[in-house]
Amino acid sequence: MQHRGTAARRGFLLSAAALALATTLGLGANPALAQQAPAKLIITAIPDDGDADRMRENFGALARHLGKAVGIPVEYMHVENYAASVTALATGRAHIAWLGAVTTAQARMQMGDRLTILGCRDIDKGFVSYFIANPSTGLGTVADLGELARAAQGKGWSFTFGSKSSTSGHMMPRKYFMDQTATTPERVFRSVAYSGSHDVVMQMVADGTHQVGALNYASWDKAADELKARAPIVYKTPPYTNYALTARADLGPELLARLRAALLTIDGSTPEGAAVLKYLKAGKFIEADISEWQGYVDLLESGIDIGG
Amino acid sequence: MGAAEMNSAALPLAARYQKRPLGHFYALLAVLLAVLAALGAAEWDWAALTDSERRAQAAARIGAWLAAFARPDLSAAFVAHAWELTLQTLSAAILGTALAVLLAWPLAMGASRAVCVGEERDAGRSAHWWPWLRPWLRHFPLRSPSALLCAACRLLQDILRAVPDFVWAIILVAMIGLGPLTGALALALNITGILAKVYSELWDGVDESRYAQVRSLGGGRIATFLYGIRPLASRNVLSFTLMRAECAIRNAAVIGAVGGGGLGAEIWYQVRFGAWDKVGTLILFTLLLTLAADLASNYVRRQLRGDAARSGAAPASCALPGSVGEATPRAAVQPSARAARPPLRPWLAAGFVALALSWSLWFMGWGNHAGEGGAPRNHLVPAAELFTGQAWENLRFFERLLKPELDLAAIGLGDPDKAAARAAQGKAVELFADYGVADFWRPAAWAAWQVELQKWFVWRVVESAAVPLAIAVIGTLLGVGGAILLTYPHSASFQLHAAQFTGESPAPWQRLLRALQLAAARASAVVARGVPEVMWAFLAIAFFGPGLVAGTLAIALHTLGVLTRVFGEAVDNQPLARFEPACGASRATTYASVAVPRVWRDWMTYAFFQFESNVRAAVVLGLIGVGGLGFQFSFNFEWFRFERAGTYLIMIILLTVLIDRSARLLKLSRVGR
Repeated sequence: MQHRGTAARRGFLLSAAALALATTLGLGANPALAQQAPAKLIITAIPDDGDADRMRENFGALARHLGKAVGIPVEYMHVENYAASVTALATGRAHIAWLGAVTTAQARMQMGDRLTILGCRDIDKGFVSYFIANPSTGLGTVADLGELARAAQGKGWSFTFGSKSSTSGHMMPRKYFMDQTATTPERVFRSVAYSGSHDVVMQMVADGTHQVGALNYASWDKAADELKARAPIVYKTPPYTNYALTARADLGPELLARLRAALLTIDGSTPEGAAVLKYLKAGKFIEADISEWQGYVDLLESGIDIGG
Repeated sequence: MGAAEMNSAALPLAARYQKRPLGHFYALLAVLLAVLAALGAAEWDWAALTDSERRAQAAARIGAWLAAFARPDLSAAFVAHAWELTLQTLSAAILGTALAVLLAWPLAMGASRAVCVGEERDAGRSAHWWPWLRPWLRHFPLRSPSALLCAACRLLQDILRAVPDFVWAIILVAMIGLGPLTGALALALNITGILAKVYSELWDGVDESRYAQVRSLGGGRIATFLYGIRPLASRNVLSFTLMRAECAIRNAAVIGAVGGGGLGAEIWYQVRFGAWDKVGTLILFTLLLTLAADLASNYVRRQLRGDAARSGAAPASCALPGSVGEATPRAAVQPSARAARPPLRPWLAAGFVALALSWSLWFMGWGNHAGEGGAPRNHLVPAAELFTGQAWENLRFFERLLKPELDLAAIGLGDPDKAAARAAQGKAVELFADYGVADFWRPAAWAAWQVELQKWFVWRVVESAAVPLAIAVIGTLLGVGGAILLTYPHSASFQLHAAQFTGESPAPWQRLLRALQLAAARASAVVARGVPEVMWAFLAIAFFGPGLVAGTLAIALHTLGVLTRVFGEAVDNQPLARFEPACGASRATTYASVAVPRVWRDWMTYAFFQFESNVRAAVVLGLIGVGGLGFQFSFNFEWFRFERAGTYLIMIILLTVLIDRSARLLKLSRVGR
């Protein structure tokens, strides 16, 4: 009995599976667009700003500017996750991505020469992170992070980074912390959390959910004065290289050259350009080379302790 | 449950006494041990509750939240925004569930032993060489090809269930690109795992003797399934599918990893900003959505059952496959009544479902313009990518997940050079360096062994599972305790109809008071259940800070809501005459000494199921800052350390498989038997 039913059952299972697949196919309706010569470029970005609508609006403006300049429609697709934006770029589901230094290095490690840089902001070659503290801690400005660590010892403070994969909200603050204190934040603070984005770090420190936090300077600078008073700066890190507009090299040298040129011409004269520059806190975009991010690749490959 | 009564009444007296459940005492002992282990294994930081300053802070935040919740942000712009998010959530959930039903059906056929393997329980027992070996052989997958297929299907459904949906979403990004459909498909994969598990358990749960006739007439496994098992379980399958659709709507509020967005992502964002008035509005929308889904699924159920009077008979709740109403014995007496009625109602129900499905397809495809500048575009097109080689080629990106980091060097295996290097650094495990096996009675030896083992990555992975397990154990117990207390005011039998069995005649003001109690209890249960545990966790983290306490509270609250409903229905399903022997006793005494013992068995089955789903929920809570296995997994995954993430993933799957298999072994899913 066991053997008699086998063939029939397999047949049924197969046909049932085929039916399920066919139904899914029916949903698809149209054949896939050919991917060879992209009729449309997709741009994505790491969600370092927690406000999705604000990102859609401003990166939508960047997409429109690039689209007008190169004559191919460019569309911004929002993701809620840093890893998803790298995955999309590395697997060709996005053609251009606004990445931080760590995510650029991650993409470089995944993609090798298939990754190229379109450019970066004028502020990206001297980026800084701030350590901030809730006024209830009684912390003033500290000369270095060793002093912060000594002040925090035994106080039971909790600490928050931004996103796990953020450069200015996690990687660099952690690196400077470890360099200057010879220990890790996990050993100094009662708990170490990852709040997700820079503006959230500032809010949570101001509210006292966490006593100390780290975030990038641009997010602190653009916050309201009332919030700044409740989350004052205690330490500024040395400058480092950060964000870049990256692209897939397989777009071809000709299209890449046009995209680079379009990026460099962004200024306040068009509404799109003005919106992008204002949102990104930049004066203009400048040329950059992938080699400027090689330090991060080396850092990641050295197996640095990044918590977790 | 009705069937429980009938079955046990039909048993001979001796058999009933033979079945005297000594197991409950073992169970209590096991629960006690589990609590001790949970408190000991994870680092509980009670400071949020004991430290007066932090308690005051938390109280202030809860106060601010409650005050803001009373005055939600009802500005036109924000309500329109919340409405948009609600529609996104709804369409993703409906589409996800519909796809999941299609995929789960064949998978469950493979995973059901009764359907796929088709062994008869007692066949060949007497003829076998070692009769005692037979029951154990049933759990050995290599005994036949079909048994192997069955085991493979079960593993597949466990993987679908265990992998968090944000991981499916990222994998799908590589396959079909970015967009709202990606989130819905990720949801579909996750629900497929859940539905397939429950379908296969329901089919396995049908008593063999009830379809033995199909077999004896020469039906093969397919015929047995189509004419025996499927019809017998169809009522439960339907109930559970609808119930799961409700849960999917609740869970869809949580996805938002890719494109789609939805209520969950927005609440998380607003919670962290302390914008409590906006959180209030969003939670209000979530509750409305949940309630609407509840009403809609009750409507469909009622139409399909063709019996309005029994509409309330099916307790419905998340992750409680056993809770579906087992009303088959009564169904047997009804065919004549049903035949007389024009068969319009099933069409109504089918039409309603079709309408909901087409709406969600339209909305997902064309109605949802989020993130593309308003130009109409068919968002369903990316699904066609699944049928290109490119999509599957892109899966190679995640290849390293399949090569988990086992850190063999630490335990002196694998490449001898690396092992020697590790040993030279003093980072290799030397288990018996200080204490030998003979020292097992010394606590210091165990501590030293643990320290040694922690040098091995895999051991740290195993230890990280303690966090979700501890959260689930404590959270479930708190929830069960709360539910037992809340069921009393929640029960219509005890608040409205008590006069019929206690013999008292309450004054009008007493009756009013009881009705108010009932309403208050039901409202709090609806809120506790309607808000998903992840949202409770968002709130608890905002109140008490991230940690085990916040996670446990979230799990306990949601469990309380879910269990109060099924506990209450179990009590209210008892005929009032059963409470009469306690005539003269107070209502509370009757509840504690008559009602609770009668339904205890059902309650514990529900509680175990809730525990299983709580373990998975606790893993997911790890992703949002509670720590432990889920946190470590997502951390490594997001840093593209896929080898390490792979090890954690194996642990997550292992946890799911272990709990699932033990539930199957204990046959807990067979409610009412």
